[in-house]
Amino acid sequence: MTRHLFYLAAGAALALGISAAQADSPPGRKIGYVLVDKAWAVYQTPDGKSECPQGFNDGPREQFKALFPEDKPHGVVDSHLSREADIWFPAEKEPTTDKGALPYHEAVGKLGIGLDLDGKVGPKDFVSPEGEKGIDNELYRVIGCVAGFRGPDGSYYFFQNEYMRRYNFNRVLLEITDVDDLTNDSDVTVTTYRGLNSLLTSANGKDIIPGATQKVDERWGKRYIHSLKGKIVDGVLITEPGDLMIPYADTFQTNVDQSFKAARFRLKLTPTSAEGLMGAYVDIDDWHHQLSVNWGAAHHASYGQMALASIVRAARRLADAYPDPATGRNTAISSAHELKFVQAHILHSDKPETRTVASAK
Amino acid sequence: MKKLWSEIAAIAALACAASGAVSGVGAAQAAREIEGYVPEPMPPGFNVIVNELEGPVFADAAGKTLYSWPTRSLRNGEAGDRKNTPSNCTDKVERVSSGLMSPYPGGLVMPDVDSRPSCQAVWPPVLAPSTAQEVGKWSVIERSDGARQWAYDGYPLYTSVLDVRAGDVLGGSNRKIGGGDEPAIRKPVAPRSNVPPAFAVRQVGSGRMIVMQNGYSVYSWDGDGANASNCAKECLAKWTPVPAGKAAQPNGEWTVFERSQGVRQWAFRGRPLYTYNDDPKLRSQIGSDEPGWHNVYTMHAPAVPSGFTERDSHAGIVLADEHGQTIYLYSCGDDALDQLACDHPTTPQQFRLAVCGGGDAARCLKTWRYVPARADAKSPNRIWTTIDIDPMTGRTAAQGQAGAMHVWAYRGRPVYTYFNDKPGDVNGDALGEFYGTRNGFKAFWLRDDFYNNAG
Repeated sequence: MTRHLFYLAAGAALALGISAAQADSPPGRKIGYVLVDKAWAVYQTPDGKSECPQGFNDGPREQFKALFPEDKPHGVVDSHLSREADIWFPAEKEPTTDKGALPYHEAVGKLGIGLDLDGKVGPKDFVSPEGEKGIDNELYRVIGCVAGFRGPDGSYYFFQNEYMRRYNFNRVLLEITDVDDLTNDSDVTVTTYRGLNSLLTSANGKDIIPGATQKVDERWGKRYIHSLKGKIVDGVLITEPGDLMIPYADTFQTNVDQSFKAARFRLKLTPTSAEGLMGAYVDIDDWHHQLSVNWGAAHHASYGQMALASIVRAARRLADAYPDPATGRNTAISSAHELKFVQAHILHSDKPETRTVASAK
Repeated sequence: MKKLWSEIAAIAALACAASGAVSGVGAAQAAREIEGYVPEPMPPGFNVIVNELEGPVFADAAGKTLYSWPTRSLRNGEAGDRKNTPSNCTDKVERVSSGLMSPYPGGLVMPDVDSRPSCQAVWPPVLAPSTAQEVGKWSVIERSDGARQWAYDGYPLYTSVLDVRAGDVLGGSNRKIGGGDEPAIRKPVAPRSNVPPAFAVRQVGSGRMIVMQNGYSVYSWDGDGANASNCAKECLAKWTPVPAGKAAQPNGEWTVFERSQGVRQWAFRGRPLYTYNDDPKLRSQIGSDEPGWHNVYTMHAPAVPSGFTERDSHAGIVLADEHGQTIYLYSCGDDALDQLACDHPTTPQQFRLAVCGGGDAARCLKTWRYVPARADAKSPNRIWTTIDIDPMTGRTAAQGQAGAMHVWAYRGRPVYTYFNDKPGDVNGDALGEFYGTRNGFKAFWLRDDFYNNAG
């Protein structure tokens, strides 16, 4: 079946409400997707009162006001710069006022979104909204009551996708190869790349549509090439765990990555989309670096009440994996992403690498 | 006066001497690579100096570069001078922050407040004699103290206390450091580059790059002859000759030749110019990946210290030290109304210490490392120099001071490497306030294929 017939058949199958399973094997036994939407998985009730009974956390402005009341004089060094120092080098404990340490509210409850990363059902694990037990996502406890992380209008939640879509630096590709059947296949290979092309939008400029070509960044993007083994069960891709890194620049002119340990995907596949979860552990220092460079400007962090240092302190408290051999203290935290991809034609270069020295004549 | 002109001549000679068609980082500015400018009438005593980095800039009779301080919108208001109005840079010492950059409020007492200089002590106004006559874009504006100050294009003019030698341009730069939240910085004032109307010159990490007016890069090809194009057939599928209109006239280093009957093309220094059909961004260097094709510069970037290298990162090419560690620049402007710089070793260091070590100088030294220079290291030019730093204060060390470090500096400011980098990493990029543009670090980008970090 030609590529076009495959996608036509797939579209017809979808239109008739038939599973994508009947759409046949993709051309060349492979199919590509490009990431169009990502968010750290946060289970939310409409008013947040269930998971955040104490309310949402304060941000940089509120904390500054509490620590440095306007009725007293303050110096730049002791106030502004001490707060900046805490962003880049978070202290062990929350700063205090005469009312005690600044509070930090963790998300509570049993419901959470994510994957079972350790194969166990532990006392701290969540139950998914669908009833699956053993969900590991301690990062949700950290960020669940921070307004900026909550969709659909949390500032960070919004801008994370805005900048991912706008800048090709962030173009994440997923290619599934060795696919005999897009519904059930016991052995497929999943490879991540960075793409070099802009997303293809519909006429309104907003909706991202499948079918675009994405050229693989084989020069600058080598660090983003990772392969995982997997299988497809009833149209759901399930990969084995593996370490990977994706570009993760959420704001202007930044070049940040995010590394994931023991990452695995669970994505519902169709010939035109892939949607689901990526569960992984994130190294706390690495996450702190990514988040503080991306969203550490206290001005922007203030939009979503994201007090970076307090958030990182909570992550250190709740870290649940990869203990430091020397101290025994956990260095990583379980997490999950909600991801949406659309199909893309992934173009691999057949050219030998060219290299140009920037200042060469 | 004789001495002045000999100094100016020496500067021009320096630009020539630092030349040579050397490729790669450290490429000295090629012979005769001096950017042309459009002469214009100037008041007596002023002149134009070609700086290795900034290109042509105006200077006063003592060879001191002239700067302006155009109004800049900050998060909570504006700072700088408005056009055709008296200077806002006065003898008042700004003792508290302005609150112009949220979220921090105004009214916070500035660091080292008792020794804080006034704006005009750091940026001496260029005073005009009572007999001064306006000429061309040059005018005179009365200061609040009644003194008369020269202005160019309506903006009051200053010199910088950081500029010591004739031809120094250490007070400010026209190179954008990225993002939109830089302080209201002072910029060297320059005559118009002598480029045809279809073109512009942009200052980027690799030099003063010629682009089209719309910002797209122009390229030249080794396969061409002098004022003769050999790019035809398949070549034209990727490259578009830059057309010269019927009225286009040759001018200095710019020439026009007929590539086919009735079709004229621009050339610079004899090299036919093209745009790259697949360029995805402005000021791109992507076309230069095609063998034999090059971006075009009026002046390449000044030579870098011996041993410095280039490294591929995950977004482009960065400058690196002799160990391959990415070089970083630190930028800082404070939030007082006069927006004084805090990125020079003669300025308060508390800002830098906060983001490089949480206020701890020892931690700073581990996290952001000065780039040591050998005792006998030679500065390749006035842009890259060696200086002595007191590592615990970050201030300029006194001569012979015990414990001082001899380090590399760019435009008089130390450069750094980041502890968490391997060669090719840029993990320290954008670290600090407002993505490293206001009190923080930016990698020394020579090429950036995704953003505009290289300029």
